[in-house]
Amino acid sequence: MGDNYAHPYLANSKKDIDEMLEYLGISSIEELYSDIPDEIRFKGQLKLPHYKSEFELMEAVKSKLSKNITTREVRSFLGGGILDIYMPAIQDELLRRTEFYSAYTPYQAETSQGILQAMFEYQSLICELVGMDVANCSLYDWATGVGEAALMASRITKRTKFVYTAAIAPNREAVLQNYVTGANLELEMVPYVENTGKMDVAKAKAMLDETVAGIYIENPNFFGIIEDELDEIIEDAHAKGVKVVVGTDMNSLALLKPPGEYGADIAIGEGQSIGGGPLNFGGPLLGTLAMKYNKKESRQMPGRIVGQTITQNEGEVAYANTLQTREQHIKRERATSNICTNEALVALSCAIHLTILGPQGYKDTAETMYLSAHHVVKKLEEIGVKRVFDSEFFNSFILDLKIPKDKKQEFTQFMLDRKIFPGIPYSFDGENYDYIVTTSYLLCEKDLDDFAKAIGEWRK
Amino acid sequence: MYRQAKYDEPLIFELGKKGRRAHLPPRCDFSRDGIKIPENMRRVTPPDLPELHEGEVMRHYVHLSQMNYCVDTGTYPLGSCTMKYNPKVNETIARSEKMMYLHPNQPVETVQGILEILYELQLALGELAGLPHTTLQPPAGASGEYTGLNLIKAYHQDNGEGQRDEIIAPDSSHGTNPASTVLNGQKLIEIKSNEDGRVDIDALKAAVSNKTAGLMLTNPNTLGIFEKDIIEMSNTVRDAGGLLYYDGANFNAIVGKIRPGDMGYDVLHFNLHKTFSTPHGGGGPGSGAVCCNDILEPYLPVPTINHDKDKDYYYFDYDRPKSIGKVHGYYGNIAVALRAYAYIAALGEEGLKHTSDQAVLTANYAMRKMEKIDGLRLSHTSAIPRKHESVLEATPFLRNHEVSGMDIAKMLISRGVHAPTVYFPLIAHEALMMEPTENENKDRIDQYVKILEEEMEKARQDPDYAHHAPTNTSIGRVDDAYAIRNLTLSWKMIKEKQEE
Repeated sequence: MGDNYAHPYLANSKKDIDEMLEYLGISSIEELYSDIPDEIRFKGQLKLPHYKSEFELMEAVKSKLSKNITTREVRSFLGGGILDIYMPAIQDELLRRTEFYSAYTPYQAETSQGILQAMFEYQSLICELVGMDVANCSLYDWATGVGEAALMASRITKRTKFVYTAAIAPNREAVLQNYVTGANLELEMVPYVENTGKMDVAKAKAMLDETVAGIYIENPNFFGIIEDELDEIIEDAHAKGVKVVVGTDMNSLALLKPPGEYGADIAIGEGQSIGGGPLNFGGPLLGTLAMKYNKKESRQMPGRIVGQTITQNEGEVAYANTLQTREQHIKRERATSNICTNEALVALSCAIHLTILGPQGYKDTAETMYLSAHHVVKKLEEIGVKRVFDSEFFNSFILDLKIPKDKKQEFTQFMLDRKIFPGIPYSFDGENYDYIVTTSYLLCEKDLDDFAKAIGEWRK
Repeated sequence: MYRQAKYDEPLIFELGKKGRRAHLPPRCDFSRDGIKIPENMRRVTPPDLPELHEGEVMRHYVHLSQMNYCVDTGTYPLGSCTMKYNPKVNETIARSEKMMYLHPNQPVETVQGILEILYELQLALGELAGLPHTTLQPPAGASGEYTGLNLIKAYHQDNGEGQRDEIIAPDSSHGTNPASTVLNGQKLIEIKSNEDGRVDIDALKAAVSNKTAGLMLTNPNTLGIFEKDIIEMSNTVRDAGGLLYYDGANFNAIVGKIRPGDMGYDVLHFNLHKTFSTPHGGGGPGSGAVCCNDILEPYLPVPTINHDKDKDYYYFDYDRPKSIGKVHGYYGNIAVALRAYAYIAALGEEGLKHTSDQAVLTANYAMRKMEKIDGLRLSHTSAIPRKHESVLEATPFLRNHEVSGMDIAKMLISRGVHAPTVYFPLIAHEALMMEPTENENKDRIDQYVKILEEEMEKARQDPDYAHHAPTNTSIGRVDDAYAIRNLTLSWKMIKEKQEE
């Protein structure tokens, strides 16, 4: 390094630099900064380490990361919208194709047909899962999807109130609360029924009127429960011109009716758990957003959308970003969202994964998740441990543990000693913790039995 | 001669046939009879997913990949996007099992390694920004802008000045600036640039008032020109009670050279996928880390990542009563942050400064060569150097030959190099925005300019040639208007049209 500039990430040698300086008629690169007032130039020494060789870098990062304990070393019952998945070798092989990952947004469609067609296929796959006509080519994650859907409902209806289920994940609720402050939307929460954990339909109906832009329902909801009494509330919402937004666990749709078939106007969800990528400590993720096609309302969608078209001269099939007059690079302050960079590579990953699974694999994995969860519940019930809500569920349930705040750390360690991440702690009263337990398709029967056994031991 | 691959590749849905499998998921021995979904919620029609065997899936996506252009294919000087090389070691690092298989809700004692890395990255970014407090939560640049403006809004409200809802930005700003402003519920006050392409100080002075929340400004600006009067601008805004937001999209010009905190800025976002080399992914994911000073720190999103030095323990702090809340479901795009960390570590204190040196040198070299081409001219003043990018105008070429900036772009992609960003910023005409980055050497730039000269000469001889470019890409020029007239946005819509 030093003055000779040589580094693998820098294209020019000292000789290249001298030649360019000569062409420019200057003696040093510093002259190109000469218009910057001296008083604001940084003259100190950056408090950063020295450069590293590739080997040193690998060793240094490996050494730090080795302190982590992963979901492959400990049996994970963690969910909450994202899930540990297996990525087949072919998937990463394709994602490492540099033609995909080292390109940017396909502004020049003619030289980017590959990624454009892949995004069109991704949109199509999402539509198949949720029973809708159009999807965008990704939002950041499910949580920002709730926020974008609320704003979209407000733009379509020109109304400023948004109603949402209390059975929502706290992190999604937090993002929703932040996202709507700019548009000044008023939020109102629909409670759930105490003993079933399902949305209180009577109370929801009472909240809906001509000032409400949309209602957000999760299905299965954050407690894992299948909302099976929605007909009445959706009918009521539509009668009052309220947009119905449904957030789903995308794996559950192998078994559950897709939101497009029971009246949802907008369907959102998390694409990580259907193959978008590994957990990666919570990012990058993949927000899915789809809706029924409607000439006017579909133009209120946020984010990029790829459409099929033709070439000007030959009339060949082609793909291109379309409806761009919704977007910030054209419409600036009148855009439907500020999204520019999205999660395209994660969307591509998701499309590849769904293609690999096919209809049978998609169903198999969802069934395994369902059956694993129900197996655990059966084992727990045998030793007298119950769920908080006694309703039908998919692969997630909330376990009635009531662990006092001051015992929580001890419980975490107890389970960790048995190589278990027991789930996401959730407190109804602010004092005691129940656990939201989720099963992936990666746990074997022994893991499930060990979990129930460990809970039994703790209770002794 | 350059020819991009071309396949008549059907949609994946058209390639399948019933019963083929590309993957076998883990076996499950539980009886399927145990599945009891409430009747009214049962899925009746399975989704129309493709059925292929593994080899056929591979071929489909390999075909698609080959109909793409990327940084590793050739020169990609897309202005304002900083398309630099993505070091391959970062891809290997990001695929560590100790990274991929971490759930964000794991006990904090099981994620000390990744938290240490994120904490060190926060410090490094803060050091480069000259603004000590960092959040890695925003998952993209625009999200970073939104977050930073949200901090400014929270600050004013907390100080009993909720009426300060105007964000001033020049007409040269990135499109995300006004969009993020409006998403925040703030009003955009757009001010004109002067003849030199810089902010008109008088216009700024006229725009500030007791309604000013802040000034949003990238520096160097989108023309690649440094706003040399930044201190006066900063004082003007500050005297009026406003704060300063730095759009870090152009940070590749100033790494280790100038620090926004030293220019009077209060808050900025970085685009880790630009300045710090993480892949653009065909559109994303990115990361829009935000750094701010002490006065804005209380409002940062929850949780922050902190370090207890006595116990040498990293932890999340959720106890932040003044926080704006959350802008992402978890802690941001962590796998992107890890790559940026590796990039900074590889270059170190010495190397980072050289990246900006070379980015600025290549930009000026390319610009001076290009402005000599008949039909092109440098936008705004020619008298001063640019920084990491420059904007050329094809206005004379359009006037004399009826060949537009877009036509020039199409001729370039036909020759196996990527076009500059066209038609941005809006204050330039027939704009070609050129950002070679430190990843292009002198030979590559010479080659690029030569191609440009050759193509423009062909266009002079035969404007029709330009209008019908490109010819060597997978397909010829796309009909964007047809796409809008005949909206087809999914396989489902295609099937419905076929049935009609």
